[in-house]
Amino acid sequence: MEEILLKTESLSKSFSNGGDLQHVLKNIDLELYKGDFTVIMGASGAGKSTLLYALSGMDTPSLGRITFGDQVISDLSTDGLAVFRRKHCGFVFQQIYLIDSMSVMDNVMAAGLLVSKDKRALAEKAEELFRAVDIQKEIQRKFPAQLSGGEAQRVGMVRALINSPEILFADEPTGALNSKTGLDVLNTLTKFNEEGQSIVMVTHDVRSARRGNRILYLKDGAILGDCRLGRYVHGDEERHKRLTAFLEEMGW
Amino acid sequence: MKRWGVLIGTGVFLAIELIAVVFLGVGDRLQVQDTVAVNEILRSVEADWGDMGNHRSIGGAAYVVTDLKGNVLFTTREGLSESVNAGIAHRDTLLDIYAEGEPAGKLIIWNEGAEALQAGKQRAAAVFAIGILLQGCVCGGYMFYLQRKVIRPFRGMKEFAERVAGGNLDVPLKMDRENIFGAFTESFDIMRSELKRARLAEAEAKAEKKELVAKLSHDIKTPVASIRAASEVGLALSETCRQQEIYSSIIAKADQINALITNLFSAALEELSRLSVTPSDMDSRELRNMLENADYLHRAEIPEVPGCLVYADQLRLQQVFDNIFANSYKYANTGMKVSFLKDARSLSISIEDEGGGVKNEELPLIKEKFKRGSGVGNVEGAGLGLYLADFFLKEMQGELNVKNGRLGLTVTVKICLSGFKKSVRNP
Repeated sequence: MEEILLKTESLSKSFSNGGDLQHVLKNIDLELYKGDFTVIMGASGAGKSTLLYALSGMDTPSLGRITFGDQVISDLSTDGLAVFRRKHCGFVFQQIYLIDSMSVMDNVMAAGLLVSKDKRALAEKAEELFRAVDIQKEIQRKFPAQLSGGEAQRVGMVRALINSPEILFADEPTGALNSKTGLDVLNTLTKFNEEGQSIVMVTHDVRSARRGNRILYLKDGAILGDCRLGRYVHGDEERHKRLTAFLEEMGW
Repeated sequence: MKRWGVLIGTGVFLAIELIAVVFLGVGDRLQVQDTVAVNEILRSVEADWGDMGNHRSIGGAAYVVTDLKGNVLFTTREGLSESVNAGIAHRDTLLDIYAEGEPAGKLIIWNEGAEALQAGKQRAAAVFAIGILLQGCVCGGYMFYLQRKVIRPFRGMKEFAERVAGGNLDVPLKMDRENIFGAFTESFDIMRSELKRARLAEAEAKAEKKELVAKLSHDIKTPVASIRAASEVGLALSETCRQQEIYSSIIAKADQINALITNLFSAALEELSRLSVTPSDMDSRELRNMLENADYLHRAEIPEVPGCLVYADQLRLQQVFDNIFANSYKYANTGMKVSFLKDARSLSISIEDEGGGVKNEELPLIKEKFKRGSGVGNVEGAGLGLYLADFFLKEMQGELNVKNGRLGLTVTVKICLSGFKKSVRNP
């Protein structure tokens, strides 16, 4: 029996555009499970990022309910949502948004100190994560402007995981990276997921989608397809064929 | 309206007059002392100068007599100005007293007008305040009058026009001959009645046309069938190719006539399907307003609507609700209960009355065109309402279900949730 991490009921999100209401998400009933690497795919404008922002408490739904464990996060105030995000969520974006005036280590520690005051424990956790993403000591002392794209994204991942979030949200994490560095980032995400980290990733890249064990396909604000692929195994052609067939069926 | 205008105008005019009269009254009081009386006092004081102890006050006036050093030699009463400075401050009349051609003292005649001025100012302020209050009351009353007699009837007419535009001609416009739109209201309602009558006449004409077409088609099809049957026999018995060709041609033409008649019959039935329905995504909470709008007699209890996005044509859905409520008002005339049920793909709105329902054998036919229950009595109707409601809902990918409940008829409107339209494949 899979443990439900996040659940939505009739989740809808509408935006007003010059007086006209645009319904971007429509009645989404969804359950996300602990330990899953869930990938959200769909064409541009299908509502992928809006869904990610609603699930992660970065935006509030217009209608419907989102439950995280026993907590109904769709009822939380702005401050309540900020606390929820800080405690339970990690974020990796296409743009990394590191603070330019702080070193790599300070960037990570600053995020950690928002939740815990135990600097020693935080430093140890940061070291462990830096080792996991292969960021050496000398890089930790650098400033963001001195990092390559891949290094910066890996630092972004360390920052996202420093507070041991129950769920990591990633919005096109490889979108701004070249093929090689993008692959490194995907390997790192896969590795964290194998260690039990729940991940929800939005992407329109099939190579990235292959890393997920569950693929949700969005169309016109509704979930058109839900495909269970099983855990990622490098070189598993059968699995890849199933993903391709699913995406073709969805009209990808 | 004229009467109210005259009353309001008179009120404002009276208030202004009142204020003006008060101010004029104060002006009279501001007249300074009589010059003759002042001279008389001065002459009397000058005559008694040197023996002011025996001086008698003149004409009941209030005054003080001082010598040049300011010593009070005589005063008619306490509290008067006893120095030149005090007299100037009080705007008293100050006169020099001459004795043997030389200035000998001062006569200070008390100015009664200063006190009158103060009292007048207070009175004017009070009257002014009353005037403002009066005008406030008049304006407030006028606003209330406007709200009651102009704005409210206008709002009623707007809702009425929306209902008529939406095709609901069953709700009369409440007439009130007291308000200024009484005549308009009546005209509007006459227009609605005429429209309704015309629509019913049109429906009746359509029904008659349908009957005529059905009858004609039957009447034509019967002899055509006989001709075809006879031709088939002729074809079977024919001995020459020429005869067979002729019989075959007759059979083919008979089939063609049959097809044309069938098309003619179908065309009459398909006219109604040309009504356009354009569904889109809408917030389910809008349904509450729509139901309240349809339930213009406020007979239904409407619970909270489950929050979701539904796929519907708002105008047509309003027509559906208008129709269901109008039917219940006409045939059941009881209280109603509305309930909602949301499942993974649809939202159902059930409207139940307590009118006993319809016969079970009539239920399957109740949504048919021109079909009415046997219990309708003399209540007017064309038998198109539920047919159209069903048609509209099908166009929205929804459903209309009618069943007998515990107390009466239950009509359930089932609409599709957005994102679960049939055009979109679901997981």
